Amino acid sequence: MKRAGWILVGALALAAGGARAIDFGSLINQAIDTGKALQEANHEFTTDEEVALGDGLAAGFLGAAPLRKDPELQRYVNRVGKWLAMHSDRPDLPWTFGVVDTETVNAFALPGGTVLITYGLLKRLGSESELAGALAHEIAHVVKKHQLQAIQSDRNSAALAGLGKAIAGEAIARRGNDPVGLKTWGANAGVELLKNGVFLRPLDRSMEYEADKLGVVIAARSGYDPYGLVGVLEMLAQTKSDGSGLSVLDTHPPPADRLAELEGFVPLVEREVSDPKRLQARFRKAVGAAP
Amino acid sequence: MMAPMRLRPLAALLLLAALGIARAEDQGFTNRATELKEKGAADAATVATLPENTPVKVLARGGAWTQVEAGGHTGWVRVFHLRFQGAVESSSGSGLASLGSALGFGSSSNSQAKLASTGIRGLTTEDVKNANPDPEALALMQSFRADRPAAERFAKEAKLAAAHVDVPAATGKGDSR
Repeated sequence: MKRAGWILVGALALAAGGARAIDFGSLINQAIDTGKALQEANHEFTTDEEVALGDGLAAGFLGAAPLRKDPELQRYVNRVGKWLAMHSDRPDLPWTFGVVDTETVNAFALPGGTVLITYGLLKRLGSESELAGALAHEIAHVVKKHQLQAIQSDRNSAALAGLGKAIAGEAIARRGNDPVGLKTWGANAGVELLKNGVFLRPLDRSMEYEADKLGVVIAARSGYDPYGLVGVLEMLAQTKSDGSGLSVLDTHPPPADRLAELEGFVPLVEREVSDPKRLQARFRKAVGAAP
Repeated sequence: MMAPMRLRPLAALLLLAALGIARAEDQGFTNRATELKEKGAADAATVATLPENTPVKVLARGGAWTQVEAGGHTGWVRVFHLRFQGAVESSSGSGLASLGSALGFGSSSNSQAKLASTGIRGLTTEDVKNANPDPEALALMQSFRADRPAAERFAKEAKLAAAHVDVPAATGKGDSR
């Protein structure tokens, strides 16, 4: 299978013309290595690799959902996020937070320290501590490398086997230019992980519960009300879909289940903090000022 | 504090600011028999005992306690003794279609293209898969990053104090990893 891949990619490289063959050779090797690395369940990603993957994924997301055009709002969310991340076990990642302009209610953690939150979710929150609860959950996914684990799980082996070829193919199809101007193989791998749907598969329930709990701890360490995430989950629990998205409830923990998981946990965290903040006014000022 | 209606307007406003203003739509039920307390504290006087499934209207949140109106009484119940369900119609159903997985990355995976009754369209899996990557938007987003000093100033402005909090020992199956 891998051998066949090599031959196919080699043929594509030849078809693309000899003048750039050396560049292609290098690119193809890198692409194939990327595919292999992702397939190895035990492959330890370097931080640079992880960040590059996240860049590619983020560029892909931003192609579908644009950044909200509100620099002050973007800076506000980055300050909340960075302050939280500084109280995680990976404070030195290049933490980046982005508000994307879509009504969809969601937030996404990308490897390497990028967190995207939709404006649809942001505007339904009631305080900075709720925002902190949401962002800290995503930070926890990054800290625990849940996405990397999910990408490398067995169910993705077929998709990953074709990944190196896909990257090389994209490059060749565009006459050897870096396919999307992202410069690194890792970023281009991130783009492919989005295109082939691997990254869009849900995480295990256990990972979501773990991120909820670690997120509550990160928020509390940062001085926020540890009940912020609880407020977010209550909001989600009483928000009704149009009835066509119920299948999601089959693959993700419903908010009520997540609340049940947190019931014995949050009071233990609450004991450890004094004078936690909710900061409704600062949140309203930042989000309410959005156009 | 127990009788906000008797407070002068300014005090009432301050109280609201301190407690947080509930989302107008918040309507829930007790998920077990629980006590309605005069204040948000376990040792506060009990106003009433609410049976399981008592409808409540949320007035304000206060960390572990939520102020509610129930059966003609106003008081506080433990936040985890309430349940909420999808009782609120949204004006943007497409986005909310993925709410069950909100905060879970990849949650939109099963939310196929959907159009809300209002016509506002959310982000779908297909949108993401088929998008042209936007490296310029990536660079712009990264330009908004906060550095440590900025985050520290920001925290200080709101008197956010860092605290030492250990991750509590396992309390559920979610800790098994």
